[in-house]
Amino acid sequence: MNCEESKELLVAYVEGLLEDSEKQAVAEHLKDCSACQAELQELTGLHDRLVTNGKTLAQSSLEKDVMNQVIREQNVRLKAASRATDALKIRRTIMKSPVTRIAAVAAVIIVAALGINSIMAPSVTWAQVIEPILNARTIVFDLIIGNDDSDMVQHEIVVGSLMRRTMSNMPNMTMIIDADNEKLLALDTEAKTAVYADIAGELGERHRSFIKFVRQIVTQLQEGQVEELGEQLIDGQKAVLFVGKGQNEEVRIWADPETAHPIRIEATIGQEFSFIMKNFEFDADVDESLVSMEVPEGYTLEKAELELGNASEEDFIESLRIWAEIIADGTFPEAIGTESAMKQMPLLVQKVTAMQVSEEKGTEIGMSFAKGMLFHQTLESQGEWNYAGAGVKLGDADTAIFWYQPQGSDTYRVIYGDLSVKDVSPENLPK
Amino acid sequence: MSENDKFYVERCLDGHPDDYRYLVRRYQGILLANLAGKLGSRDHAEEAAQEALVRAYFNMGKLRKPDSFFSWLLGIADNVAKEHQRKEQIQRRREIVRSFSEESAGTELSQDYALEAAIAELPEAYRKVILLRYYGGHSCNQIAEQLDMPLGTVTKTLSRAYAMLRESLQQQKQASSL
Repeated sequence: MNCEESKELLVAYVEGLLEDSEKQAVAEHLKDCSACQAELQELTGLHDRLVTNGKTLAQSSLEKDVMNQVIREQNVRLKAASRATDALKIRRTIMKSPVTRIAAVAAVIIVAALGINSIMAPSVTWAQVIEPILNARTIVFDLIIGNDDSDMVQHEIVVGSLMRRTMSNMPNMTMIIDADNEKLLALDTEAKTAVYADIAGELGERHRSFIKFVRQIVTQLQEGQVEELGEQLIDGQKAVLFVGKGQNEEVRIWADPETAHPIRIEATIGQEFSFIMKNFEFDADVDESLVSMEVPEGYTLEKAELELGNASEEDFIESLRIWAEIIADGTFPEAIGTESAMKQMPLLVQKVTAMQVSEEKGTEIGMSFAKGMLFHQTLESQGEWNYAGAGVKLGDADTAIFWYQPQGSDTYRVIYGDLSVKDVSPENLPK
Repeated sequence: MSENDKFYVERCLDGHPDDYRYLVRRYQGILLANLAGKLGSRDHAEEAAQEALVRAYFNMGKLRKPDSFFSWLLGIADNVAKEHQRKEQIQRRREIVRSFSEESAGTELSQDYALEAAIAELPEAYRKVILLRYYGGHSCNQIAEQLDMPLGTVTKTLSRAYAMLRESLQQQKQASSL
């Protein structure tokens, strides 16, 4: 046994997890290797600290306090609930409309779509151009995810930290987002139902709004990162084009040569996320009731269960399954990612509704799909991934459809058409 | 208390709140370690752990897979920790750790507090294995079962977690000696 092999096994050795033969081999090696002896000593030291600390903490007792509080609160809730059964059967907090919840999830995906830190830069009139972006109290604009103006449009009204968002492909849905308090209010204007969702934690932290994101970009700009490319005709108007390039992103701003107000902004971030903002109105008179977080009169408030934290590879695989099985009739789609997922959302809602599954099941499908895409977004900001599933049939065990390198890992995770996963070393990756 | 998490979760949902105590017993040490690492004091960690456990109880109806109770609970605890951190406008864990070790020598949750701070910063998969193994007293076989991974993966994860902890402790040491 050499040092490398021995070091690999030392933790297992300390933990007593090795087979007798391996154990003996390690012990043999340790006899004559002072480097590994030192390593072993370090590991044993850490092991002992862990064990000691673990024991100390295991002696703490929260049990009494927690149980007292649980019983006390349970009683309060029992009294507060008009029907005692409501409080006892806490499992039954199911919303009426799965469609609403799926759309709420869609809203969260959009909110979640930007998790990337960006860097770029100013020039002479640049300051004037970004001034309204930074300082306008209200901003109204249209947003398109992707780079095709004919795609779905999100209309946004931003008032301070509040914003109202509607989407052209889901005309019934309105989202109002309170970025400061990390709350989202989703309204179904047809069914007159409302859902609150908590977007705290990672979701809320990673991204607030596209405006905030653009603000972040322009304030981080440094000399030499922005270029003025002269006058162009854009959206039927004369405009001065500025291009800012960061390490991982590019932003193009067309500004009105008279007012210096931005007319159109295009941004590309990471491997394939891009968006367009246009039809700006800065400091327009906005009816502030439009961004109220109160449930509007005549709406029924429903309980939501948005659990989108801790998205994992498992969730991602499930979302691939949903995509192939439910949305695309057994074949993996042309492309995956936030952009494509957003576009597929109405179709998913339609297909799930047609499946006539239970509300709970419908919600679960929507939620899994969203969670999987969130996991994909974390890959977007952390490193390399490849999708090669276009046209591959679900169940095809021989074709790799997706691979990525988890942070801190030497090997890649490769997902196949039957949704099995293998750890593969870099040299054995699919071509 | 040899029943699995799912059993107790179902019991609670079926209207036996008293059985929640077994889950509390099982995970309190883990939560305390995790939260002490994030929040920096015994009082804060206990307060947050209690809050997380109570919150978990009243939200149990939302837990879709009862056998993933642990991951779910840890997620709740992490959220509580974030809320607490925000409340106190604490921005850097390391600063807390330093000020904590200065002001309250002798009342620490455990003697070497730096360790929990390093654990709290591990990527989730590694953090889970370390917490379950040393603060929850699980064997590697039990961890394999609970997290639904092969024993070999548990061993590998543990090995890598050790390496990361060593590096992180080394950095803490260097930072504090500056």
